[in-house]
Amino acid sequence: MTQNFFSVDDIPRRRFLELGIKGGIALAAAPSLMSCIKAGQAPPPPRFALEDLNKVIRRALAQGGEFGEIYIENRVSRSILMEEGKFKSAVFGISQGAGVRVISGDKTGYAYTDDLTLDAFLRAADVASYVARGAKAVAPVDIREEKRPSFITVKVPLQTVAEEKRLEIMKRAHDAALGYDPRVKMASIDYYDEVRGRTIANSEGLYLTDELPLLFFVVQVLAAGNGTSHMGRERLSRHAGLEMFDELKPEDAARASARESVAMLEAKDAPAGKMDVVMQNGWGGVLVHEAVGHPLEGDNIARETGVFVGKLGRQVPNPKFTMVDDGSLPGFRGTTDFDDEGTPMKRNVLIQDGTLVKYMTDVLSAKQIKMERTGNGRRESFRYMPIVRMTNTFIEKGTDKPADILASTPSGLYVQSLSGGSVNPTDGVFNFTCREAYLIENGRKTVPVKGATLIGSCLDVIQGVDAVGDDLDFGPGICGKGQAAEVSAGQPTVRIRGINVGGSRAR
Amino acid sequence: MMDIKGTAEQLVKRCLKKGADAAEVYIETGRDLSIDVRKGDIETVREAAAAGAGIRVFVKGRMAFASSNDLGEKALADAAGRAVEFARVTTADPNNVLPDDRGETAVAGLYDPSIARAPMEEKIELAKRLESLATKDPRITKSDGAAYRETEGEIVIANSNGLLKGYKSSGCGCGVSVVAEKGDQRSSGYDSCSRRFYGDLKPAEEIAGKAARRAYEALDPRPVKTQRAAVIFHADVANVLLGGVLGAIDGERVLQGASFLAGKMGQRIAVETITIVDDGTREKGLASAPFDGEGVPTAKRIIVDKGVLAAFLYNTAVAKRAGTRSTGNAARDGFTGLPGIGPHNFTMLAGAAKYEDVVAATRNGLLVKEVTGYGINPVNGNFSGGASGFWIENGRIAFPVRGLTIAGTADEIFNGIDLVADDLDPFDAMAAPTVRIKELQIGGE
Repeated sequence: MTQNFFSVDDIPRRRFLELGIKGGIALAAAPSLMSCIKAGQAPPPPRFALEDLNKVIRRALAQGGEFGEIYIENRVSRSILMEEGKFKSAVFGISQGAGVRVISGDKTGYAYTDDLTLDAFLRAADVASYVARGAKAVAPVDIREEKRPSFITVKVPLQTVAEEKRLEIMKRAHDAALGYDPRVKMASIDYYDEVRGRTIANSEGLYLTDELPLLFFVVQVLAAGNGTSHMGRERLSRHAGLEMFDELKPEDAARASARESVAMLEAKDAPAGKMDVVMQNGWGGVLVHEAVGHPLEGDNIARETGVFVGKLGRQVPNPKFTMVDDGSLPGFRGTTDFDDEGTPMKRNVLIQDGTLVKYMTDVLSAKQIKMERTGNGRRESFRYMPIVRMTNTFIEKGTDKPADILASTPSGLYVQSLSGGSVNPTDGVFNFTCREAYLIENGRKTVPVKGATLIGSCLDVIQGVDAVGDDLDFGPGICGKGQAAEVSAGQPTVRIRGINVGGSRAR
Repeated sequence: MMDIKGTAEQLVKRCLKKGADAAEVYIETGRDLSIDVRKGDIETVREAAAAGAGIRVFVKGRMAFASSNDLGEKALADAAGRAVEFARVTTADPNNVLPDDRGETAVAGLYDPSIARAPMEEKIELAKRLESLATKDPRITKSDGAAYRETEGEIVIANSNGLLKGYKSSGCGCGVSVVAEKGDQRSSGYDSCSRRFYGDLKPAEEIAGKAARRAYEALDPRPVKTQRAAVIFHADVANVLLGGVLGAIDGERVLQGASFLAGKMGQRIAVETITIVDDGTREKGLASAPFDGEGVPTAKRIIVDKGVLAAFLYNTAVAKRAGTRSTGNAARDGFTGLPGIGPHNFTMLAGAAKYEDVVAATRNGLLVKEVTGYGINPVNGNFSGGASGFWIENGRIAFPVRGLTIAGTADEIFNGIDLVADDLDPFDAMAAPTVRIKELQIGGE
């Protein structure tokens, strides 16, 4: 329902595990048509005559309303699992459909269909127009094809790759993981790729089409020893062709995952209570994605419920903190050429040297809070209406040296990687689970500690960041806000003062 | 209306013709409606009907799967061809078999035709009423929206062992989220209700009242010291303790050694007052069904029997590998994926204590009303999470607390439970009563 808990995960969670945390009707009742994920080489997306799409948009606004849109999507996906030395499963998906949206004031009507015919589109337009009955109508502008620059380049198109190539990449990762250490018991390699075709047409006269490839490669490694077990993980993801693996080597991902799983076998109980936390560069940026990013989303601002409502231009007392959302970083997991409403991607500085300068918006929230469209209107699939989502979100790099940051921290927790976490955007309280963490004693990383929870509030984080490294890096993940979005999160090595750490022993 | 059973049967035959030795077709059709209201007016209305087929094939022991959300003959034939072709890439496994049990468990109350018959305006009104009731209290300063959702659909499974089954199901729900503000403080409160039958939804007053209470009761939290103390998981959140158990009783994870319960069958893993049941047969149960995601009849099964681990969960292939029979726990995440392993209605049974007495019996401790994080880690049993709720002093709720952490191990938690209340919610798909853990590490100031 509307429980506002925004989450981010490093790997797809299996649904039955999610039941424990979320529950609720979408999971519990009847078919999960709403949660259909990905699907995959389908026939080329049918092209529709522009005049037909104009008809749909006109029908959508026939009852009233100021914005009408049709989004047509087709997706072809492949998912292969290698586990326990076997190629256990191969899953191929083809999914196509369209969604029609009508905005009238603050109201949105949405209807989707998996039937790609003009009749089905017109029926969807009728359903979507329900919310606009009796409202003032805006005359739609006839659509015209536009071209946009692309931030995604492909050398080896996924459609042309022989299956054997995919298997070989998986096997390389598998062998590297098993060969890392005798304590490694099992490796689980998830290979996923998709090609998503999009067509967007709206009553402002916009008409755009493109095709986005996506790769997601997850290596999980189970190690056992010392009376315990640990599952490590590493992920690679880009909007790219198979050439991604020339740069991001499957063996390196496997060894990183294996290294974590073995290292954490020695983990001691983590301490509990407030302490200083040094976060290694990379995926740790999810902490600000959750704690600071979600509250800066324009829909929360328009609803006047978030912690940053009315704080634009306000100085948060920390000049070291600059935060950016940039959907145009070439090939990144959160990158697209334009968002799912057709707004071009660009670099959006949200907090500059501690001053809040921008909220992220989609078409609706930009109108509501009277700000520019920032290119953050995204949707999981045609079954969902676009909402404000982050893309590639990060703390901008600073000038501190990572080694100095650690050395100048007498005691605390060194977080090498996080799993995922969530935030309540109303009060800004976030939580994160450490995947790999170490005690800091006398400015040095010492013993590994068991997966502790980090919690705090978004203002704690912004104010608490007192050292920012020069080693910005990123990691890929999945952001959940009622629907899933591909994102990356990044940061240089940073130190945050006074975070509450949920260990199982007193200090 | 299209003949879904006929389509499924035909498609199985087509797979065999294309070279599969065995095949299974899973088809879902259904429709969804979701309504969101905010500040007394509609915010969104989303509506759609959808359908899709998932095709699992076996070629010389190799398994592959393809899905399509186009149920046209040509699209389905293409998908069947894709699946057969894709089977080339996987490894042959003698455990790759399909079930042949033609039985179905009689489960009452899965489908309510009156959900669809109720007019849209009534559902919009319900959401509006929820919002207006939840914002009535002056301490509530903002609405974060109210919602109504419904879904209904039909599932059909056919396979080359001659199995052909189907059933219809429905669900509906509503919820509301509000904010209480005081000075610089903001606190959110939320409640919802999901049911199989429209007429079983809780009164709007009850849902709205609980959402509002959750928001304003949490105002003015006070800090507490890092300490070891009693921790009470309220029935609203106690099901977080079950998540890690679920992951750990997944038969495949057990075989792989990726479960803290592997090797513990028949052993004591919890105090004697703990019994955990998985039940796919409960009348009107949100996770009930006559058969599982590959057509095996569901059952009611004791997982933990008075503290002793009594069962793992299996689908057909994993059961064969383990040398046992499927427990009817093949779980599907829609038509786009393979059946994994998952629970039906998964419940820790109620105890004898009254909730009030559990609180009254606690001298110093934490009453947890909200937990964040991943729960118990199913691989190694470690637990760490964020917690908020109330601090208890001398058997009374003293003040709200926020931003605390709690941590321990599954062993510490399940063997440390010393009180189990009688307040189990009989409707929830995953539920536990209020339980008290003697002592757990709490992180605060």
